[in-house]
Amino acid sequence: MQGSSRLVGRLVLTLFVLWTVATILFLIFRLAPGSPLAAFVTPTFTAEQQESLTRQFGLDRSLFQQYLLYMSNLLQGNLGESFFYKRPVAEVVMTAFGNTIALTLGSLLVAYAFGVVMGAVFAWKRGTWIEGAGIPVVLVTRAAPEFWLGMVVLAIFAFSLGWFPGGGANSAGLTFSSEWARIFSLDFLRHLILPAFALALYLQGLPLLLMRTNMLEVMQEDFVTMARMKGLSNWAIVMRHAARNALLPVATAFALGIGQSVGGNVVVETVFSWPGLGRMLVEAVASSDYPLAQGAFLLITTVLVTMNFVADMLYSLLDPRIAHAGHR
Amino acid sequence: MRAIAETRAVRGTRRSFLVGLGRAFDLVRRDPFATAGILIYAVFLFVAIFADQLATHDPHQILYRANRRVASNLPPFGDHILGTTNLGRDIYSQLIYGARSALLVGISAAFAVVLIGTLVGLVAGFFRGWVDMVIMRVADVALGIPFLPFVIVLSSFLEPSMWNVVIGMALVVWPSTSRVIRSQVLSLRERTFVEAARVTGCSQARILFVHIAPNVLPLSFVYGSIAIGWAILTEASVSFLGFGPGNTVSWGSMLQNAYVSQALSRGWYHWFVPPGICIILVVVAGFFVSRGFEEVLFPKLRD
Amino acid sequence: MTVLSVQDLQVHYRTSRGVAQAVRGATFDVPEGQVVGVVGESGCGKTTLARAIMGVMPKTAHTAGGKLVFQGTDLLSLSPRELASKRWREIAFIPQSAMNSLDPVYRVGTQIAEVLVDRGGMDRKSAMRRAAELFDMVGLDVVRLRDFPHQYSGGMRQRAAIALALALEPKLVIADEPVTALDVIIQRQVLDTFKDLQKRLGLSVILITHDISVVAYASDRVVVMYAGEVIESGTTREVLQRPFHPYTMGLYKAFPELHGGGTLVPIEGTPPDLIDPPPACSFAERCPFVEAACREMKPALAPVASGSLAACRRSPEADRLRVLAGEASTWLRS
Repeated sequence: MQGSSRLVGRLVLTLFVLWTVATILFLIFRLAPGSPLAAFVTPTFTAEQQESLTRQFGLDRSLFQQYLLYMSNLLQGNLGESFFYKRPVAEVVMTAFGNTIALTLGSLLVAYAFGVVMGAVFAWKRGTWIEGAGIPVVLVTRAAPEFWLGMVVLAIFAFSLGWFPGGGANSAGLTFSSEWARIFSLDFLRHLILPAFALALYLQGLPLLLMRTNMLEVMQEDFVTMARMKGLSNWAIVMRHAARNALLPVATAFALGIGQSVGGNVVVETVFSWPGLGRMLVEAVASSDYPLAQGAFLLITTVLVTMNFVADMLYSLLDPRIAHAGHR
Repeated sequence: MRAIAETRAVRGTRRSFLVGLGRAFDLVRRDPFATAGILIYAVFLFVAIFADQLATHDPHQILYRANRRVASNLPPFGDHILGTTNLGRDIYSQLIYGARSALLVGISAAFAVVLIGTLVGLVAGFFRGWVDMVIMRVADVALGIPFLPFVIVLSSFLEPSMWNVVIGMALVVWPSTSRVIRSQVLSLRERTFVEAARVTGCSQARILFVHIAPNVLPLSFVYGSIAIGWAILTEASVSFLGFGPGNTVSWGSMLQNAYVSQALSRGWYHWFVPPGICIILVVVAGFFVSRGFEEVLFPKLRD
Repeated sequence: MTVLSVQDLQVHYRTSRGVAQAVRGATFDVPEGQVVGVVGESGCGKTTLARAIMGVMPKTAHTAGGKLVFQGTDLLSLSPRELASKRWREIAFIPQSAMNSLDPVYRVGTQIAEVLVDRGGMDRKSAMRRAAELFDMVGLDVVRLRDFPHQYSGGMRQRAAIALALALEPKLVIADEPVTALDVIIQRQVLDTFKDLQKRLGLSVILITHDISVVAYASDRVVVMYAGEVIESGTTREVLQRPFHPYTMGLYKAFPELHGGGTLVPIEGTPPDLIDPPPACSFAERCPFVEAACREMKPALAPVASGSLAACRRSPEADRLRVLAGEASTWLRS
């Protein structure tokens, strides 16, 4: 009972946040100095063309009417048409989204698998040289700008050694029967490895440090002492009891990480010319393709907010103290 | 009488100064990491202040060789410590001036974030009720805004300037500080000394700023030292993407120049490695310092 | 038959100030089928003793001497592997706070089954059947097996902890303050259940507590500890009715409900620093009957008139001292 009302509460909040961000975005784009079309419309446009554009974007109406139009379009999934691609924004954005998700999930999975294991090892080896040498290395990877890590990785592995392609998601000239065939092709994987590795290098620090701290804390708990008194094996104590408890916050961080990476990948995507959502946003902003910029931004926001919600739910699902409240 | 009181006061301050110094040394001994962090900050601060003296060339100036040709792509360790860019600019001097803009952005953004975050957290935690409700919902919204994309969109509408990063951070990053400060205030306001202040008839403002605020300041510092690094990283990203100001040299813009000038494929590591290392050093210093603070604040984390 | 014989046990802790001698030569026996209460103030070494017998101590602690002879073998001479195989199957433990001692992310039934499967070699199905049986024994509703620890009340948690301890039918159970966290009425109920099971199963028990009324209620024998040493031991009846050590007299006085009213009189002062313990009687500084000689030599634990053992130079005069100790003014420092 309590759980479901909590769920509804979080859901309402999530929708509220989405709506507010969409509104803020509307205000930014409409209230910014000059017409949003100014950057796009060049003197070569005829008056007629200009007028049709103005009408298309509802700029001849009052701000409030524009807002209503914008919201009703959003609700129908209508994000307008890209100036540059001359195609519906929703369509353009979804292609990029697939690439971004592949990159995000690929790098996060590697980063978290590595981080969780190494975090547990560091906790276990507390006070040894392994920890002494490992922690500074981890801190450096966390402090490095993602895109710089990308540049170094690119310079070494793609250009100096020539092991991997220097950018893009697919080799030029290749065609695929479907989007799925493209994403699951060997060619795509070959292009994915380097950017995913660079991102993973940056991302692994968080789960590692989180896991290490949690493990150290959990190992102090009475139930771990009890597990030893019960004569359980080290494996059972560490994996079944300590790690299971220490993993709770890491799982949440993973979900949050998906949401943050989708927006945060902007720079890495640019370095590797990865045709993802972030790079699309950058290009759209740079070329004043504002329907596309708006669409990309909204999609990034939606993923972020949704994953915040999922993380929250995941935590209560995994932690019985929240999932099974009551019944005393 | 007064003289005695004064000398006593002087001695008191001197003693507290000595105690403070002793504590600092204690920290150095107990936490070499925090010390390293502070040292790194000090070095960069020195470089930023004396950039004019330390730089060998004007970072923007296109340099020429004796034969009147552009001094482009000179290797490091020759006449130019770190060599020159493909347009004949001195990389070392750019690096030195980069410290200036990095610290300027880092410190102002950290200051803005911590100031807003602390104030909002104090108010929310102290007044609770609907004030808290509204503030926390606003915080939820801010946390729902993707940070870097937001700064990019912001930069495209405002004049290109390094202050865009500061504004973006001030608008979006404060909630993480606020939330922590708020929960701290929620527990502080139930403590005896606050209760005592209330009973003796202190005003709300006095309780909040005189009795509660000083107790959360160390926590603000922790977040501040992390925010400096974050701001520098963001500034670098924004400049790298080409949304930075064209007229200032920053580590991010250096990296962007290197990237678009094909420094990667030509293996000019001396161009794009040093700015990255500088960024890492400053950000790591922030981690170290905040870690030091944390260990002083929450001794539980220590063995 | 003696199940466990603790002989001159020494346990040391590394601390930032030096080595703390938490247990200093504790000696006592646990006869089969009996409850031995170990009583003393907090910090007297009773919990350290319990954990030393279990062989599970913090990294900073180690046994520095003595023997723990359990059914003929010295536990301290066993390899970690041999010791681990004895744990829970032969010696089980009931913790003070079952809340923190049960893993919060697993159902209670799962945690009982874990021990039965991992240590008892049962299959899952019979383990669950046995868990239900154990719940029935300790007076818990079987449906509660599916609950998580945080869904239990304090009393239920302690009952679950008892069920967990009895899972593998151990010879010896060490109960460290098993009812301290509970309110008085629940304490009594849980103790009754425990006592009843102990008799039915013929368990040997070491009951560790600071509460002398719990000892009086539930134990057959009592061991009084002070500053890491055993200062008096014997049958509960003799030790409580005819204490020979002034500390025991004072302790008794500190629990007025035991002797039908009277005022609570705490023993003033603090126990000695265990990093640098005095070579004399460790109670001397707080003892109202202290004499110069008490501060010079440590008294040995020796038989006294009642048949108990006591470590006090003045134990021959105990009858007279006991009368004095009955007066509150004796314990108040001028």
